[in-house]
Amino acid sequence: MAAVKRENEEEVKTDDGSPKIKPRPIVRLGIFLIAHSPIFSVVFSAAGVLALLLLPLLAKNTYISENALMPGSARSMLSNQDVSDGSKLVKDIKNFRLNHEGQGVEVQKLIGTYMSEMGAEVSYQKFHPEGNQFHPLHFFSGPDSYTLLENVSCASYGVNVAGIIRAPRGDGKESIVLVTPYDFINGGDYESLSLGIVSSLFSLLSRVTWLSKDIIWLVADSRYGDYRPVAAWLTEYHSPSFKVSDLLKCNELNTADNFRRAGTVAAALVLKVDGRSDRFEDTLSIYAEASNGQMPNLDLINVVNYLAVHRQGFYVKVEKVVSLLSSSWLKFFGEIFEAVGKLGHTLNPDWNFGIPAADYLEGSATLASSLYSQALGIPTGPHGAFRDYQVDAITLKVSPRFPPDSKTRQHEFFLRGARLLEGTIRSVNNLLEKFHQSFFLYLLTSPSKFISVGVYMIAFALLVAPLPMVAASLYIDGCKALTNSTHNPAENFKSWKWLDAAKQVFALHLLGFIVTLLPYFICQLPGQHSPRNRSIMWGTTSSSLLLITFVTIPGCSPFSSRLHRNNWAVLKSVTIAAAFIGLCLMSIINFATAEIGALLLVPTCLMAQPIKPALRSRSIKSLLGALCSLVLVTIGFPVMFFAISKGLLGEGLVGLSLGGEFWTWLESLWAWKSATYLYIGMIHLPCWLLCLCILFHPS
Amino acid sequence: MAEDQKKKLCRFWIWALSSVAFRLILISFPGNLNLSSRPEVSTPLTSIRRLAEGYWLKQASMSPYAGSMYHGSPLLLSILGPLTVQRIKGQPSHLLCSLVFVIADILSAMLLRGIGQKLQMAYGLNARLLGFLKSSRDKVILPCGDIAALVYLWNPFTIVSCVGLSTSPIENLAVILALCGAVTRRVPLAAFGLVIATHLSLYPATLTIPIIFLLGYGLDAPPIKLFLQTRSVEKEETSTSTVSKQAKLKQTTHLPFLWKTVAHFLFWVLLWSLYVLVLSALSLNKHGGLEEMFKRTYGFILSIEDLSPNIGVFWYFFAEVFDFFRNFFLIVFHVNILFMLLPLAIRLKHRPCFLAFIYLAISSILKSYPSVGDSALYLSLWALFVNELIDMKFSFFLFCGYLGISLLSPVMHNLWIWRGTGNANFYFGNAIGYACFQIVFVVESVSAMLNHDRALKRSNSNHREVKS
Repeated sequence: MAAVKRENEEEVKTDDGSPKIKPRPIVRLGIFLIAHSPIFSVVFSAAGVLALLLLPLLAKNTYISENALMPGSARSMLSNQDVSDGSKLVKDIKNFRLNHEGQGVEVQKLIGTYMSEMGAEVSYQKFHPEGNQFHPLHFFSGPDSYTLLENVSCASYGVNVAGIIRAPRGDGKESIVLVTPYDFINGGDYESLSLGIVSSLFSLLSRVTWLSKDIIWLVADSRYGDYRPVAAWLTEYHSPSFKVSDLLKCNELNTADNFRRAGTVAAALVLKVDGRSDRFEDTLSIYAEASNGQMPNLDLINVVNYLAVHRQGFYVKVEKVVSLLSSSWLKFFGEIFEAVGKLGHTLNPDWNFGIPAADYLEGSATLASSLYSQALGIPTGPHGAFRDYQVDAITLKVSPRFPPDSKTRQHEFFLRGARLLEGTIRSVNNLLEKFHQSFFLYLLTSPSKFISVGVYMIAFALLVAPLPMVAASLYIDGCKALTNSTHNPAENFKSWKWLDAAKQVFALHLLGFIVTLLPYFICQLPGQHSPRNRSIMWGTTSSSLLLITFVTIPGCSPFSSRLHRNNWAVLKSVTIAAAFIGLCLMSIINFATAEIGALLLVPTCLMAQPIKPALRSRSIKSLLGALCSLVLVTIGFPVMFFAISKGLLGEGLVGLSLGGEFWTWLESLWAWKSATYLYIGMIHLPCWLLCLCILFHPS
Repeated sequence: MAEDQKKKLCRFWIWALSSVAFRLILISFPGNLNLSSRPEVSTPLTSIRRLAEGYWLKQASMSPYAGSMYHGSPLLLSILGPLTVQRIKGQPSHLLCSLVFVIADILSAMLLRGIGQKLQMAYGLNARLLGFLKSSRDKVILPCGDIAALVYLWNPFTIVSCVGLSTSPIENLAVILALCGAVTRRVPLAAFGLVIATHLSLYPATLTIPIIFLLGYGLDAPPIKLFLQTRSVEKEETSTSTVSKQAKLKQTTHLPFLWKTVAHFLFWVLLWSLYVLVLSALSLNKHGGLEEMFKRTYGFILSIEDLSPNIGVFWYFFAEVFDFFRNFFLIVFHVNILFMLLPLAIRLKHRPCFLAFIYLAISSILKSYPSVGDSALYLSLWALFVNELIDMKFSFFLFCGYLGISLLSPVMHNLWIWRGTGNANFYFGNAIGYACFQIVFVVESVSAMLNHDRALKRSNSNHREVKS
């Protein structure tokens, strides 16, 4: 794009009589693109959307990239004895909880006893279920910004139990973590099954000879959510605080000087058992999305998927947007693609790009869910905590097909679950380096199909390609118009006309930055406020700040008369350039956010045009254009978009009274340090405001 | 007119003071920004943490260069070192150092303003001599000194390197001091600035050429031929005797070169370098002396020992290159800068200040440990020539490029170092992009300046035709 723009400007400048040299082909291509930018922008945007729809077709089958993994090549060593150990633990816990009521840590102690009987080193860790707090500057700092609270009460705290089996062949520098979240107070029967599976496995691992990485089994106290205990344990594991916590004095259980470590964590598996499967087979759901759309290495998912499908006969699935499965327009696309694929196949039997419409629907529903959870930037399970320390981790949620009290089925279920984990651990155990061979940047369309970064970036690149083109052509137009309109040749700073527009763009981006930080100060206000009140406060302060900006910086306001005629072209050009930079940045931080943001922002920015001349001209074409831009700008407002997407997902607009729900949603975003929040505040909102300015430009 | 000027001056001071206030606000919460550990801001040469380490070693009566931590000048160590250990209770550490850097920035800006005023005066004078101001009276001469000073003070790069506790504000101050001395013809000052700047970071040594030109030929001016043409036109009108005209032409076809001033300058350079060397030798007297200093500072710069990532292009290359080619490529890379000195000096000898700007920009691209502080310096020097470079092409494109690259750099670094999903190529790609934009910037600046000269010539000949 750079070359394109340069050369075009060069062409403009050659009108001062210097000999005109015939430009090079690439230059001519650039000039051609810019000269016909309206057509090309429509073509490119449409191609971008089409490429997004085509993604399920372009998905490739996953494959094991790292040779050292060798999944399923060794025979399972799990015996019935191990499984009955696991069953015994489950039964003991159940009996114990029937007999003892209360808040104590007896269950943890029971599990600890079991662990140490198996030959593991046991440690207990107390943690405080500290709520996620929003601090604006913590977005930019590393993961260890966790601060120990000074005065914690003993009323609410959790206790994690961790057991470590030292590897007979290892040097204690690497480890694999197994996590089973378990609510010690009111955990259900299904939940305790996960303890059974892992304890069967643990019993096996304590006596095998092939282990070269230490195994850590963490029973996370999930009464305050799944994520928090795991995050607390990881913080203590990686960056211990040397202050003595008040928590240590809370209970008879002494956890001081007790924390055990086992080298760098190579991989982590979180196992959860919940609910009854509605299919004939046991179901295994894989959750992989960590904060800000980060994914674990694809090889880890591949290994689990391979073992689960080909060795243990689980039905493996990843999450999908169920409502999309019944959408008729997607089905329509699927049928078209299927027909085209069939046509291609008849033309040349080697062309096998078509997939059945049903597969396409499944793929797109999964892709949509994958995009959604990446874009949200909120981890989908406790595995998200590991990603902050560059550890690859996934959550496996197993749903058995039997009711929890069936003894015979339980034995078989334990056997299969533990064998799956055993195979995975054996593969990871073979690793010589950390996972690096396979992809980190990908989207899943099914457990065994993925779209790599090289493919999905094409859709995004096509979508944003019109932005620099249109910016260049508008810039040239605007400069020409300005040169004609100013009669004073001395004030004719040929190359610097964009500075005024840049000032306005900068001012609004600064405003966006301040608006993004405002919630922090609103949260600091004394007293309890409902989300609704808070959002009203936020809205009023933001809009008054906007008014102040318009009043104090004269060039900024769309209503001031000081602006030059036709200045809007330059303003729009600078706006589009800013949107382009912002979207490209975001696509590197979190692709999914950038893709969804581009779908909204690109048409809005491209269509934005002053309405006044359109109304004056009264031609149908310009009126239609003005209407289009009005509609796009309305949809583009974040609150509006949130409401519309809620409505589309089938939830009523009732709960959205005065943005209370919107506030709660944003609160969850910043609590998880999601970059999407920053994107909305610092890129989307300012660009939207600028589009509004262009729309009401007095030209 | 006077009132207008007063208003402008007032505005300048408001903006300058607000930039200082902005720096002070940023300094007051350093823990959260953590700028001093960014590879873009602090290099092994300019990091204050390394300086503090060197000072600590020296206090423990060891060589400050032990352990390859500190690589700066021993004099800077003596000046800034004590400030790194002094803490005011309740205030962030390194507060005093930050204040020193803020003061250095203010001084640099004021000196830039001085240079700019001189250049502006020279521009006006030349324009009047060539007869442009008469023809178009309304042509405004921009106050380039004020603009340059504000560009320096408000440039995010300057602010970041000032708040991020790198020593580049002091290096920049030395460079600007040298230029200011040369522009105002204070020979000892120019020599002092040059010697200190070279002592601190080696690369400003290239500035010797522009400073000699400045002292020998005077300030930036259009090519001498133009004046001759103008004069000849006037002569044709006034005198008819062709003989005397020819005689006069011969006399002034080349500008007088003031050998005496230059010799004076060289003498002062010698004196100051001797002084600096003696001081350094005294301060390193027990720890290996000058030899150790040269090895650990200039040797470190030239042999590129530290391959930790920065925004330059050398670290990646020398991390990849085979050991037995290393010396060869070291020579090739360093000669790159030297190759460009002579052609540029010949082509731009009538504009020595601009030449200095080009040299600084080139050395900031091809430096072994560049930081954003270097870019801040050449960008503000660039602003000194707003009058000449008003028609520069691709300004918007370059602006977007610099903005995009500087935002992308931390993201790429984060992707590589913290998330682990990227690799070194991500960050290096960004560095290449940055180098490309800088090259486009330099090329465009030079071509805009040459175009400006050509335009002067053309309008001058038009002018003559109209007159005759």
